Amino acid sequence: MNPVFRKVQASVAQQALLLNKSLTPCRVAPSIRHPVWCTHSVNERQYKGMPTHGIGRWKYLLPKQAPRKKKDKQQMKQIMSATDTAYGTLNVNVSGYDMTVVEHYSQYIHNFCNRLGIKVADSYALPTKSTEVMLMQEQGTKTYVDAVLKTHHRVIQLSTLNAALCPVFMDVLLKNQPEGVQLSVTEHTEADFQARFKARPELEGLIAQMNQ
Amino acid sequence: MQQKKMAAPCGRMTSRPLLQFLSRFSRSPVGNTGFRQFSSATVCRAAFQINEAAERANSPWTLVAAVYLQRLPVISADCSPIEQQFKQMLHQIELEKSVLSDHELRLLEDAERMSRKQADDYDSDEEDSHGDQEIMMAQDLEDIWEQKMKSFQPAPRVRADVDKDLTSAERCLADSLVLLAEQEVGDEKLWLLPQTRWQEGETLRQTAERALTSLPAAGFKATFLGNAPCGVYKYKLPKAIRTENSIGTKVFFFKAILADGAPPKTKKAPFLWVKKSELQKYLKPAYMMKVERFILDL
Repeated sequence: MNPVFRKVQASVAQQALLLNKSLTPCRVAPSIRHPVWCTHSVNERQYKGMPTHGIGRWKYLLPKQAPRKKKDKQQMKQIMSATDTAYGTLNVNVSGYDMTVVEHYSQYIHNFCNRLGIKVADSYALPTKSTEVMLMQEQGTKTYVDAVLKTHHRVIQLSTLNAALCPVFMDVLLKNQPEGVQLSVTEHTEADFQARFKARPELEGLIAQMNQ
Repeated sequence: MQQKKMAAPCGRMTSRPLLQFLSRFSRSPVGNTGFRQFSSATVCRAAFQINEAAERANSPWTLVAAVYLQRLPVISADCSPIEQQFKQMLHQIELEKSVLSDHELRLLEDAERMSRKQADDYDSDEEDSHGDQEIMMAQDLEDIWEQKMKSFQPAPRVRADVDKDLTSAERCLADSLVLLAEQEVGDEKLWLLPQTRWQEGETLRQTAERALTSLPAAGFKATFLGNAPCGVYKYKLPKAIRTENSIGTKVFFFKAILADGAPPKTKKAPFLWVKKSELQKYLKPAYMMKVERFILDL
């Protein structure tokens, strides 16, 4: 019994020794110039001195970006005011029931402005409003839901519009207006901008409490 | 003596603060068939300065403002054969790529349920109870809608008799029409865009508005598209009539869109609603050359 165990132990120890021997050459990373096992000990780092060291680096070439804060409160863009020869910030509002038509028309307006050199400040969508059409039942007084119509809004904000260009611009827009689409041109006010945000009742409650 | 080519109103226009305007143009079929609905309100109208009257020299040109009133197309134009084919192809592609809608899914479910009910080993307790869906099946809804659709009569798109009547504003619903009036210029009666002479103390746009309202008989309501003119036509008087003070006339054109409300049609009113292609028959060639530059034929 005992010699068997001793043999087993010895063989285990031998195997461990073998493993150790095979590990040490692996710890030195095989480099290109000196393939695999040769002359280097563990502590000498080969790769930093190599001519191709850092050959794949590219991020240092990019322009420095200021670190962006995550919670950036949406600042309103400057509202231009009207001068003698140009209108100020205008909102071109396109709305309708058919979303594809409304979107395509708003894209058309945007491209048209780009072509004419009119600067487009912003292009956004307002939330969709659902309208339920309720019809009276033929027998009886109860109304039932007949259809749900969704009104889609798209807004294109122009920063300035030259007065001489305005009639031409409006004419083209009106001539290309598709059926079932409402077009309206208004001035942009701060109230319009604030209307896009959701009301936060808890925040307002807390602020009111603080002020009291 | 100051010789100024550009007379005062143009100079005044650049220094006057602009009219702010709020307009709503809607193209919905509700309401009059012939017109789009407009609502416009002037938000603020600042007063202009009249001090430039002192600067004005006696210009030898008489100034006239004319209004280019158009009735916009009411229906979309018909597609050409290639456009129709392409439209059909796109429709087909969209149909094949699309997913079933809620209504179609309901139809399928109902059909399945019906076939299950009619099978011999039907156990109604196994079914999930859809309360009102069993009363009103999707197929019934479709039948109701089909019936409503059949009872709906759309208005005819093209009416041949109205198209030929040049004085009617409801002809050629797919094109945009221009208003022409027969006015006396000098000694002769000509067909041209309605115009009047500019008077002191008013802007050219106001002159154009006056030209529209002073037209005999028909009360057209128009929305002007801007304060700046869109075109100019100038002509010199024949040498016999030319004097020191009047060499000729400059006509400034302003764009306007016909607003809501069919004007009462008087039979003998000297008005014509013409398309751009028909303009050549009525306008003089030199005038036509200047005018057709700003008429968009979209």
